[in-house]
Amino acid sequence: MMGNEYGLVLSVKGLMRYYGNIRAVDGISFDVFKGEIFALLGPNGAGKTTTIKCVLNLRKKDAGDIFLNGSVSFVPDGKELYGSYTVEKMVRIAKELTDKFDEKKCFEYIERFQIPFDERVSNLSSGQTTQLYLSIAFSQDAELYIFDEPTWGLDPIVRNQVLEMIRELIVDGRSVLYTSHILSEVEKVSDKVAIMSKGKILEQGYLDDIKEKYCAVIVPKNSKVDGYKYKSTETEDVYITKREYAISSNLEYSDVSFEVIFEALVMGSNNSLTA
Amino acid sequence: MWFAVDPHSSLPIYSQIKEKIKALILSGKLKTGDSLPSIRTLAKDLGINVNTVARAYRELELEGVIRAERGERYAVVGLEDHLHVKIKQTILKELQNVVYRCKELAIDISTVLNVVDNIYNQSSLQNEVGEDDGK
Repeated sequence: MMGNEYGLVLSVKGLMRYYGNIRAVDGISFDVFKGEIFALLGPNGAGKTTTIKCVLNLRKKDAGDIFLNGSVSFVPDGKELYGSYTVEKMVRIAKELTDKFDEKKCFEYIERFQIPFDERVSNLSSGQTTQLYLSIAFSQDAELYIFDEPTWGLDPIVRNQVLEMIRELIVDGRSVLYTSHILSEVEKVSDKVAIMSKGKILEQGYLDDIKEKYCAVIVPKNSKVDGYKYKSTETEDVYITKREYAISSNLEYSDVSFEVIFEALVMGSNNSLTA
Repeated sequence: MWFAVDPHSSLPIYSQIKEKIKALILSGKLKTGDSLPSIRTLAKDLGINVNTVARAYRELELEGVIRAERGERYAVVGLEDHLHVKIKQTILKELQNVVYRCKELAIDISTVLNVVDNIYNQSSLQNEVGEDDGK
């Protein structure tokens, strides 16, 4: 169990959560530090939301340690608000329920998103509801912001606005933990990434380091390669391997996009190849 | 300052920033002593994570290309000789790759050497480069 390691905002060690026989979260560990954006990335059903709920104690964990060092502002994947209130009233309520809530900032965000103040929340589109929820969450002063699929249902322009707001949060030393299944967004915003699939974390670290760590090699069919099989053509197999391995095995290699690395790792876990 | 960066490239964004800044210095658009935007400003202008810009600046500083000044500013130092060496090494690697290709295509070594010879030994005969493309 760690002491007060400087800058550590959240530490998850060996987290496990079962639903009967299903291991929704199957022994994962990761750390989030001050001033960074950490993305939990993975296909639907990977266990991301369950992880978040365990971190926030909304679900009891079956094993592992969670160390949270700071206040949290949370936006769940189902963005539910009080339908009968107007937008403006919603903000006033948030102000009463939350410490360190910046009402003025909240109204600015809402204006930026062009949501009418006197509209009833139940009349807002799902995109607008998300935007309102995010406006409220961003106006809370917390050390760690946790977002579960924050851009789901938003159009591309609004998505970019939200990503910009997420980037702005860390400038003053706050931290962000968010889940997503949208790689292209994660690439625009995150410092660190954990690729999660079927309850396990397959790879994690700085996004930039992961891009540099892996490469693609082309080998004759049925070669023995220490890596993740990505594709098979008529005559060749394409593997995603660690660059060090390709170099030390004298294999010709080429750079690959993060998307390809992600696909190969997740497919690999689906096929349960030996690690 | 603005330039395009590609978050989906296999080349990490911080590397792209480093290369762009070095290219601006090489082309003379940035000179020794010129100011660079602060980390926050560049991150905002480019629409990317501050930590990414911070990493690019940190490495450029370690390489001696830029230096930190008071008040979050950075100034261009320049591309040292050892960086010119690195750039030369990159070009030589490209040349190697091209020569491998020539070999793969069974182009005669004398044809390849002729190309090199023509280019290097052109004294005042500037425009008389042979039109053979290594056939």
